[in-house]
Amino acid sequence: MTAKTVFPFAAVVGQDQIKKALLIAVVNPKVGGVLIAGEKGAAKSTLVRGLSQVIPNRKLIELPLNATEDMVFGSMDMEQAVITGKRQFSHGILAKAHNHILYIDEVNLLQRELSNAILDVAASGIHVVEREGASNSYEAQFTMIGTMNPEEGDLPPQFLDRFGLYVTAAGEKNIKDRVEIVRRILAYEQNPIAFYQKYKRAGEDICQQIAAARKKAKEILISDAMVQLAAQISSQGNCAGHRAELFLLETAKAIAALAGRDELLPMDMQEAAAFVLPHRMRRPSEESKEQHSQKKQQHDQLEQDSFNEEQPQLPDEEQPNANESSQDRGEAPEGKSEGELEKGKRQEDTTIADLLPVGNMALNLQKRQVRQGSGKRTLAKTNTRQGRYVRSCIPTRPVTDLAFDATLRAAAPYQLTRAKSMCCINICREDLRQKVREKRIGTTFLFVVDASGSMGARQRMKAVKGAILSMLQDAYQKRDKVGMIAFRRQTAEILLPVTRSVELAEKSLQHLPTGGKTPLAEGLYTALGVLRTMCRLEKDIEPVMVLVTDGCANTGGRAGQDAVSEALQTALLIGETRVNSLVIDTEQDFIKLGIAVTISRALGGSYYKLDDLSAENIIHIVNGMK
Amino acid sequence: MRHSVIYPFTAIVGQEDMKLALILNVINPSLGGVLIKGEKGTAKSTAVRALADLLPAMETVKDCKFHCDPQDNNQLCGICQESLASHNPLVVQTAKMRVVELPVNATEDRVVGTLDIEYAIKHGEKKFEPGILAQANRNILYVDEINLLDDHVVDVLLDAAAMGVNRVEREGVSYVHPARFVLVGTMNPEEGDIRPQLLDRFGLSVIVSGEHEPDKRVEVIKRRLAYEANPEKFLQLHQEEQERLAQQIIQARQRLSNVSIEDELLTLVAKIAISLEVDGHRADIAVIKTALTLAAFAGRITVTSNDIQEAARLALPHRMRRRPFEEGILDWKKVEALFGDQ
Repeated sequence: MTAKTVFPFAAVVGQDQIKKALLIAVVNPKVGGVLIAGEKGAAKSTLVRGLSQVIPNRKLIELPLNATEDMVFGSMDMEQAVITGKRQFSHGILAKAHNHILYIDEVNLLQRELSNAILDVAASGIHVVEREGASNSYEAQFTMIGTMNPEEGDLPPQFLDRFGLYVTAAGEKNIKDRVEIVRRILAYEQNPIAFYQKYKRAGEDICQQIAAARKKAKEILISDAMVQLAAQISSQGNCAGHRAELFLLETAKAIAALAGRDELLPMDMQEAAAFVLPHRMRRPSEESKEQHSQKKQQHDQLEQDSFNEEQPQLPDEEQPNANESSQDRGEAPEGKSEGELEKGKRQEDTTIADLLPVGNMALNLQKRQVRQGSGKRTLAKTNTRQGRYVRSCIPTRPVTDLAFDATLRAAAPYQLTRAKSMCCINICREDLRQKVREKRIGTTFLFVVDASGSMGARQRMKAVKGAILSMLQDAYQKRDKVGMIAFRRQTAEILLPVTRSVELAEKSLQHLPTGGKTPLAEGLYTALGVLRTMCRLEKDIEPVMVLVTDGCANTGGRAGQDAVSEALQTALLIGETRVNSLVIDTEQDFIKLGIAVTISRALGGSYYKLDDLSAENIIHIVNGMK
Repeated sequence: MRHSVIYPFTAIVGQEDMKLALILNVINPSLGGVLIKGEKGTAKSTAVRALADLLPAMETVKDCKFHCDPQDNNQLCGICQESLASHNPLVVQTAKMRVVELPVNATEDRVVGTLDIEYAIKHGEKKFEPGILAQANRNILYVDEINLLDDHVVDVLLDAAAMGVNRVEREGVSYVHPARFVLVGTMNPEEGDIRPQLLDRFGLSVIVSGEHEPDKRVEVIKRRLAYEANPEKFLQLHQEEQERLAQQIIQARQRLSNVSIEDELLTLVAKIAISLEVDGHRADIAVIKTALTLAAFAGRITVTSNDIQEAARLALPHRMRRRPFEEGILDWKKVEALFGDQ
């Protein structure tokens, strides 16, 4: 656990971009930290942890995901309070990270409440604590380094924007390098100390390089021309705010300093742009599209080579960066889903053709209420004793989940005056504190799919499957539950009872048989049954029903009613439950009956045409559901 | 009901893959554990316990809550480091490797450890109360139905499994301690997914299913009945085999550091990984480490191409999943084609 047992920074094969970004960040603290995103097992954490060996005068302070608020921001020193009766503040992780480096592994999984507060501190460099009856402020200026695997969900844009530099990590594709990587890891594991010794020199060299570059960076002057270039680059990248320019200049300074130069060159700016822009570029709005493409041409002429990668709209698959940036702002680039871009060519042979963009489909379920369930779609306070303990509060109701640490801190200052029995700390009722836990709650999706002959027209079904699949993909990331009902011929069939296995949902979707009449009422009736049970079992969930149909109900009618009015009646019943519904209308005949619209009104849900879906973004639709 | 005599490992019928994967992990704990996929009642937990029981006792520091290895100065906990630094020799005792269970409903405090409340109230001082990860250090951490584990508990496991360190910054206590364990997880794939990130931390994965041959099924029951009727006698029947396997494991452990692998085979593994488009480098590393361990177990000091093939079969399948619900099928033909090129 000593520094010697960390895999040496200098021994990591390849990953030059990441190494460079990390060096830049430690040379010039003003560049605003680094975010490393990439697939698992690509040496992200290894490099960051190895960094601690090569940076002079700085420490790497790690923030574990499960840190509680009191530890991050500091709290009253309980031990001191017991002895002296005084409230003395003891520093938290952020204060310890002052003038050092703060490392957050899996930063995308950090509790939002914590991450927002950390951002505030990172931005102001100072933290004012008002808690536990004491007020305190301390300096906390640190370089923030985060690593994340985008597979597990993304970062909110405001967090993303905070990181000055952004790099992506991927495994080496070169056979020789891969072999060398394995060889070094085996050598390291066999004898960490000997391995460390072997790379000691190389590490020291890097250390000196950083120290020298730090000095140099302070001397570098920024010419007006460079400022202009920075502004030009940022506006071409369509970046919000002015942070991009500042980060660009500071990054370029560090790059020049690392190269041993004392002046900025345009090529430094170019290199800097590759780090600073990817996560800040926005897709221009529809109106300015034309304008943008003109600009783009100009731009391409201006900077032909190294800028291509940052163009937000190039449909080329080699551009995970550009994709990431737009995706994180909740606007997927045209016609491509994140999955598609990320996985590039692999997807071409998928049987389901039209994957629709889902990206950041965040359901605007109500404010954080007390809920149960597990998943990731909404962060919610939970009142079960599950979930992550984030902070404590003064209880308003009888205490069910005692926060011992906070209770002790509350009691500590009074110990000098309180009568003592056997224990050192005497706790009164007013000291009691309740734990506040946070848990990610998924939504339950019930897909009710019309599999009748009228849907069977090949292309329709393909599009439907595509739409559902893209929702499923998102459902996976958010830990949602899914169920599926298909109706055709005379009956509705529960293809998949509500489950967390999105895998199974995808399978049953693939094997969905089509043909026969449209028993819409039957489908809705079955859905009603499932939804009612669901609501009864789990009181806090708000299921979402996604009904995919062309509305041509032509069979059913339990009590001899006609098919359509029976369907409407059932829809009304569903509308009375606390289910959110979404109707996707697949009707495409020339003369439209418009039954699906009526159904969706009865459901009290939202309504979309399948044709609109392929053009529009599902994100907006699902967002608009509330 | 718990028997004082644990069902002997060598008496388990069939499930060869699972048994092999477990043995490899106790020979080389750095392999990264095993994920066992399959139905209930397939001797998963029996096998894990039986294997731990079969192993010879290991040396640990006496009274150390983390069972530090007195021979390994690099992995000592803070307390042991301190006593070494103040020239107090570490007192050594022997202890059996344990199977520490992590229940699906475990709270995070229990897993990572928390503030010792009793101590704090009595003495007015903060003290760290170790959790399951502390118990699991140098032992086997067994997580039944790992796919049902809460997300935030998985996050903790991810970090500990990768770094071998548990870092606690909670409830007023700040603490770091070693947490190197052999992670054994079981899951029934029909009950839900497991996060790809956690999946990738597992060195090996195996699929178990109930025996289908009537003869073997009968044998399973016969042995179970014989064991329940008289555990001691049953153990005696298998004593010889048990000892032989234990010896084999001990020798393999000693041999492991001497096993070498040719460059050609390293290149082959890199080619396999590239052609299968796995994420990152854990796949290559796992295959090679497994192959080295296989060779050591077989009593050899060089890795053969067969070892690689066997290792690939154990270490690759669970890494094949690219998209969340894409089925992780290992295209074995691709792998074989590469072997053919050899």
